[in-house]
Amino acid sequence: MSSINQIPVINAKRGNPLSKVFDELVRFCRSRSLFILHYCTGCGAIELPPAMTSRFDMERLGIQPMVSPRQADILLITGYVSIKTLKRVILTYEQMGSPKYVIGICSCTVNGGMYWQSYATAKKLDEYMPVDLYIAGCMPRPEAVIAGLQQLMDRIHSGEANSWEDYFRNYDYYLGNQQKLFGDHWQTPTDIITEAKHYNLMGEGTLGEHTRLLEQHQKPLEALDMRLGHNLKEPTK
Amino acid sequence: MILTSLDELLLFSGATLLVALILGRGLAVGWMVTILYGGQLLVLIKMAALGYSDATIHASISFEIMGQSLSWRFDALSWFFALITVASALLSSWFSCGEWERSFKQQGGNVWLYHSAMALNVFTMLILLASGDLLSLFIGWELVSWAGFLLMAMAGGVATRAAMRYITYAMAGGMAVFGGIALVYVAAGSLQYEAILTAVDQMSTTQLWMLVVMFGGGFGVKMGLLPFHLWQAPAYAETPGPGSAFLGAISSRMGLFAILLVLVKLFGIVNIDSLKIPFTLIDARDLLAWIAVFTIILPTFTAMNQNDARHLLAWHGIGQGGYMLLGVVVADAMGGAGGLLHIFNHATYQAALFMAVTAVIHRTGTSDLNKLGGLVVRMPLSFMVLLVGIIGLAGLPPMNGFVSKWLVYRSLLNEGMPLLFLAAVIGTLGTILSVYKLIHNIFLGQLRIEHEQVKEAPWSMMVPMLILAAIIFITGMFPGIPLAWVASVQEVVGLPATDYTLGGVESVSGSLDMIWVIGVLFAGFGIGAVIFYSAGRSKRVHQLDNYAGGHFLSADVRYQYSDNFYAGLMHLIGGWYRSSFLWLEKSVTSLVDFLSLVMQGLYRRANAEFYLLSTALFVIAWVVI
Repeated sequence: MSSINQIPVINAKRGNPLSKVFDELVRFCRSRSLFILHYCTGCGAIELPPAMTSRFDMERLGIQPMVSPRQADILLITGYVSIKTLKRVILTYEQMGSPKYVIGICSCTVNGGMYWQSYATAKKLDEYMPVDLYIAGCMPRPEAVIAGLQQLMDRIHSGEANSWEDYFRNYDYYLGNQQKLFGDHWQTPTDIITEAKHYNLMGEGTLGEHTRLLEQHQKPLEALDMRLGHNLKEPTK
Repeated sequence: MILTSLDELLLFSGATLLVALILGRGLAVGWMVTILYGGQLLVLIKMAALGYSDATIHASISFEIMGQSLSWRFDALSWFFALITVASALLSSWFSCGEWERSFKQQGGNVWLYHSAMALNVFTMLILLASGDLLSLFIGWELVSWAGFLLMAMAGGVATRAAMRYITYAMAGGMAVFGGIALVYVAAGSLQYEAILTAVDQMSTTQLWMLVVMFGGGFGVKMGLLPFHLWQAPAYAETPGPGSAFLGAISSRMGLFAILLVLVKLFGIVNIDSLKIPFTLIDARDLLAWIAVFTIILPTFTAMNQNDARHLLAWHGIGQGGYMLLGVVVADAMGGAGGLLHIFNHATYQAALFMAVTAVIHRTGTSDLNKLGGLVVRMPLSFMVLLVGIIGLAGLPPMNGFVSKWLVYRSLLNEGMPLLFLAAVIGTLGTILSVYKLIHNIFLGQLRIEHEQVKEAPWSMMVPMLILAAIIFITGMFPGIPLAWVASVQEVVGLPATDYTLGGVESVSGSLDMIWVIGVLFAGFGIGAVIFYSAGRSKRVHQLDNYAGGHFLSADVRYQYSDNFYAGLMHLIGGWYRSSFLWLEKSVTSLVDFLSLVMQGLYRRANAEFYLLSTALFVIAWVVI
């Protein structure tokens, strides 16, 4: 999404030089250790095994597959996204810990590709979640996948790859598109608004008409707090 | 007459029993009995000089029966065991006071019987520990057997059946011991320890073999040594909560006490070592060591297959007994210290574990490992106690179980017994796997809907559990405290004493200093904590906000994998579970059944001429021969 917040403005703030070095170090480490959750939705998944294994070997770049979204950094969407799949993709994306990056592989994620006329396919992935990088092609070869991942690494290192913040700051926009597709009762277990408040990522677009609709029916899942329960009242039966 | 402190201890213990018997139906009897156990502990602390020297304290009472004098006395060995006995009785009795007692009564339990049985157990155990000759040892042995039966049988139903099985084994063991004592009397002409010590040197190999088999087997029954181990796990597990904590902590160690006294102190490891088994390379001592090792492995892997938390722990109680015997049989300074220290350590963590499981049963009503899960958010302190306990049981630092197991391993390596070492390590592997199953299925994973409102155990149960957890950690950090007692026990039973320091042991082949080990460990934790707390804000999430391939989770579906735990491992080793010992037990039972049928058949014939004829034949045969 193109918003005024995303236009790069150079802030010539004079910070602590030590903290600049530290930030540089953090970004360097972050870009050199990426765990990908490959949500293999379509045909593009077939290009990942050669990319991972000894022929192209993306582990030499510090990129490894990971089994759960909580530890993963990159969500790899490898092909067309049907509406049913999209629900799962959004659930998974919201469960990933920040900072998180999304890569859309294959033309289908860009514009629906050969499924343009399908009633059951989401056409543009970036209407539903911020996408850092597209690797177009039908399907892109492993070289292209690795080139794309390297580009992402560069963007992470330079600090440009922060589109995950956009999901919090413009949640209303994404939620609106999701509601349009899934209906008004759409809800995921993760409470994005509370998380945005928790991480100080509230933006102008976080709240809006769509989030108001969500709050009308949302049943938030409170984390089970650890408690001794000695001062707990007996449940009345 | 001036009472010695041993008299005071026994009187105190008898008074506890009387209070439980007479006032047992009144109010607050649990607290009264607990305070009296505290009094016994104080008397024991008064006798603490015993634990640091080889002195003895005699009781004022002694009898003279048929030329045999019966006397009672305490030395470092008795004191060490008595300390564990009374302390575990105190804590389990404390645990049972208040809320547990009330709910036990509501479920139809007999609180009077429970407290009386506990007090009787402690009293008889102290009498056994104080025995000053083989005759008083036998009297104490039988008393302990029957007192244990009372506690095991009181829950009724399954428990009574398990207790009947126990008493059958115990009586067989008692008879073996009695036979052994008779043989000793024939050989030595006296049942005094001093007389036996001198007589042992003149005994023939056959005599010594007979004695080792009879005493080893008889005392081994109580310890649950293979192949006499089948009774123990169900009997202990089905005992009401705190009772099982007490029994699991100390009861079967009475067998080890008797083995230490008779086999190690009186007969001597050197003599046992000289008993060769013909046509093999091994001797009686190796045989004992291998029995100990199989006692570690088989019950531990049986424990891994249990689906009831109490049964799982009770099976471990048998397995850990193997480490103690193994250490004692290796009989160098480190091995002996490891084996003896493990008695103390095992009592602490086994009691804590049984108490934590009882707390879970108290709150949720079940100990079925397939019906629990996720309780860490509702019972965090019980979780901590169980965690500390299983670290001790698995023998990992920083808890005390590590020290004793390390000593046993070290001695096995020092003495050049790599196969025994390997077998012991396999046992530990099984321990680690099964205790992970225990903590995972009870406390980790998904909290069930029906346990949403569960509360932490009441403080009357929590405080003794926390005290035990503290003891487990402190004696893990400063193993020198119990090692001081262990060293004097080693001197008393004639083993080389270990060279201990506050943090562990000194040895030319490699010392152990737990203060350093724990320091390094906690430095690691500290680094982890610094990283965790400096990494920015974290957020806790609900258990249903979890990843299952993108699936939307709901509370009515179980996502915790608890049934058929270790399916992959079972695929490999499942075929080894053949219940061979059950088969052995059944075959012996049916043989006895058959013989009794034959006897009944003869007896029921009521044929006067037949009896007359057979008696006449017997008399003639006797006269002729």
